[in-house]
Parts: sequence; C-alpha cells; structure tokens
Amino acid sequence: MVRVKNRYIVVRIAPKNTSLSSLYVKEQVLAKCILNHVEKYYGVYGVGLLEHGFRVKYCNDRTKIAILRCSHHSYKFVTSILPLMTSVGDVPAKFNTIYTGATIMQCNKFIIKHQQNFLDRMVGQVVSAKERQEMIKRVIEFDTS
Amino acid sequence: MEETKGFYDFCVPYNKDEKLLRAICNELVDLGYKTIAIEQVFDHSKKENVKRASDIFPEPINLKWLQDEFKNKLKILQRLTIIYMDVAVAHAMGNSMNLKKFNLVAGQPKTDAALTHCCTTFNGDLVTFDAQAGARLYVNRKAYQVAVKRGIFFEIKYSPLIVDTNFRKDIIKIAHNYFVRGKSKSIIISSGATNPFELRGPYDVANLSFIFGLSEDQGKCAIDRFCRQLFLRAESRRIGKTIMFVKSSGPIVFSDSSSSEHEEDEGMLNAEEKEDQEDVIKFPKSSDSEQESVDNDDEQPNKKKKLS
Repeated sequence: MVRVKNRYIVVRIAPKNTSLSSLYVKEQVLAKCILNHVEKYYGVYGVGLLEHGFRVKYCNDRTKIAILRCSHHSYKFVTSILPLMTSVGDVPAKFNTIYTGATIMQCNKFIIKHQQNFLDRMVGQVVSAKERQEMIKRVIEFDTS
Repeated sequence: MEETKGFYDFCVPYNKDEKLLRAICNELVDLGYKTIAIEQVFDHSKKENVKRASDIFPEPINLKWLQDEFKNKLKILQRLTIIYMDVAVAHAMGNSMNLKKFNLVAGQPKTDAALTHCCTTFNGDLVTFDAQAGARLYVNRKAYQVAVKRGIFFEIKYSPLIVDTNFRKDIIKIAHNYFVRGKSKSIIISSGATNPFELRGPYDVANLSFIFGLSEDQGKCAIDRFCRQLFLRAESRRIGKTIMFVKSSGPIVFSDSSSSEHEEDEGMLNAEEKEDQEDVIKFPKSSDSEQESVDNDDEQPNKKKKLS
C-alpha cells in the first residue's frame, strides 16, 4: 500500500536575546510566520504546494524546540528558507534545523537524545539542587506529552 | 598531513573587538563547526602610489590568544583576501614572503579582466565576490572551466543574504550563474558574518544551498569535503614540494590489501604536488615538522584516505 509521505523537521528556535528563558510562541503564530516567509520567497506557488499537509506538530516554550510537518515533495521550500528567517512573531530569533525525519517517532527519539545531551552540559552549571530538579523536569517534560 | 575536521567556515572577518570575535567563535563551536578561517582584507586597487617596499602585503595578525583559547575545539586558520583591479598584483604576489604565512589566499576581482585573470593564472586558492560590487561580474564559461581544472574554488557568502534583501537577489543571481556556466562545480559556502546572530548551523547552510541551485550532495560538500580539498591545495601551494619521511617504530606487516591501498595513496600525493608546478623546488628546514612517524603501517593509509 502506498501511504502519504511526510517529512518532519525538528527546529530549535534561538532568540537573539539569549537571556530569555522561555519563548511564548503559539503554534498558529509559528505556522503563519513560516507560511508568510514561504510566500515572500517562493510566491503563491510555494504556498499552494506547502499548505497541503503543513502543520506545526509540537512547540515547546521552555526548550524552544518545534516540529514541523510538511509533505514529502514540498519540504525543501521550508528547509531552504529557515536560515533566512530572522524573527518569529515579533521576537528576533533564528532557526536552527537539528533533524529531518520521515516519521514522528524518529523525531521524538532524536529530541530525547538531544535533550539529554543538553542536560549533561547544563546540569553542571546550575548550583542549587532545587533549580536543578526543576530544570531536569522541564527539559524532560517532552516524554510525558 | 594536517588534520582538519568538518564542518568548515572559511570566512570570518577579522574584528578588532576581541569580545565580539570570541562570541562568534563560541557560537561557531556551539553550531558544530570545527575549522574556521579568520579573514583579513587587503585592497590592492586603492594603493596606486605604493612605496617600493619589498612586501606590499600585510603580516598576518597575531591570533595566538584565540588559537590557544579554542585549542581543542576549533582549528583557526588565517586567510587573506586581495581586492584588485589589474594584473599587476600577480608580480607582487610572486615575490612576497608574507603571503606564505597565510593559510588561504583569496582573490576578489573588481573588473572583468581581473576576474578572468583570477580564474586562469591567479596564484591563490579561492575566488570570492563582494556583495555590493561583484553583482555585475559574471564568470564566463571558459574561465570557469579553467578554474575548476586548476582546483580553484568559488565562494558564496551567506550572511549578506540574511541581512539585506537587495544583496539576496544579487547573490542568488551570481550563484545561478555558476549553475548555468558549469553546473555549480567547485563551490564552497562560508558565512562572512560580523556578529553571532548571522551565523547558521551547517545543516541549515546545506539546506540553504537549494536556493543557490546546488544539489543536495553539492550543498553538503560545499561546507565539508570541498573545503578539505581547498585546504589541502592551499597547503601544497604554501609549502611547495617537500620531502616527507615515514619512520616505522615497530615491526611492519605487509599484507595485500594494505599495500594496494598504499599505492593509491601515493598516487594521490603525487597528483597533489603536480598541481603547483610554478613553485620552486625547495627543501625547507621545517621538513622535520612534516615528518610523520607511523606506528601502525596498516592503519595509516586508511586514515589518510578517509580524511581527504
């Protein structure tokens, strides 16, 4: 059987102001922002291709990681404009593509691994035990969701 | 053979502000780059009344502090970009000693004649373009083919692309010119970023190459393998022909598979040396530094093959 092929793009949103601990971006805002940019660079044709099957599947405020779903034949429109984007909504930020997968399970696996790496690096820098607990909780919160 | 690791960013403009330079380097490490080149610019076209000094090119800036600081994280090279209008620069380059102190030498032509010269006889490694002035310079097919054959690489900088809309159009135009003339052979992509916010991760850059008309494979090579080739070429230009000793410190086991690989490896080395025929044959004193003591003869050829 032939199934509908998708591509899942995992991006990390890095705000210009690095001191920002969390970034409040709604999924609709992110989706609209990306569609606007695609329209800017590829015109109506690009948006037409992309809109079929495009969706923001997941967006985490704390870890600033989002998953975008695109159809298999139009994901290049998204990946090629992500480096050119300099703002989300009205926050100046840049996008960092960290993974592109074909199923959402693979993306989840990757994100968990990525977060664990991130924790390993960051935990040493946090001094108080309570803060550390909280941080581990909010970084790993992906597993439960 | 000097080791370098991917990914590469061969254009980080030098900045007097140490703090900013450090911030950029930190960001580069975070994004996963392993080898970068700090760029110095030298404008040859401005200096009409150059004093008859022996060396018109500047000395490389001392970056020891930076190299020490990022010792295990980043390999920091130095690069000189020469902006020029006429062919007279070739003579000055011929007898310059300072030029050899740079790891990479790039040419940035300002006129059509200079561009053709840059592709055909320029004794550098890289052809680059200024976003403002270079927009009207298009390489023609013949010069492009010659440049590819000589092993010269063409550079596309992506940070002006992010900052300004007008440059975006120009750079896409230049990039597609390469595609039209010769299927985008020998292209590398580098940042040219003046602040950390303009830097992008290596995979982003590879994806961005889609709008330059590069294929997926070419896009990835543009930040990884081609840069390694470029580095090797630059190194062979800088050092010229050298003698290399291979010492064994243990018993050598010859097996069939390893010996055949060894031959391949030697053939590659010879080809590399043939490229710089203009260079005078010389035996530098520093040949000791080139010496490689090989502990395990079986492993070494494999390693070399993988790296290059």
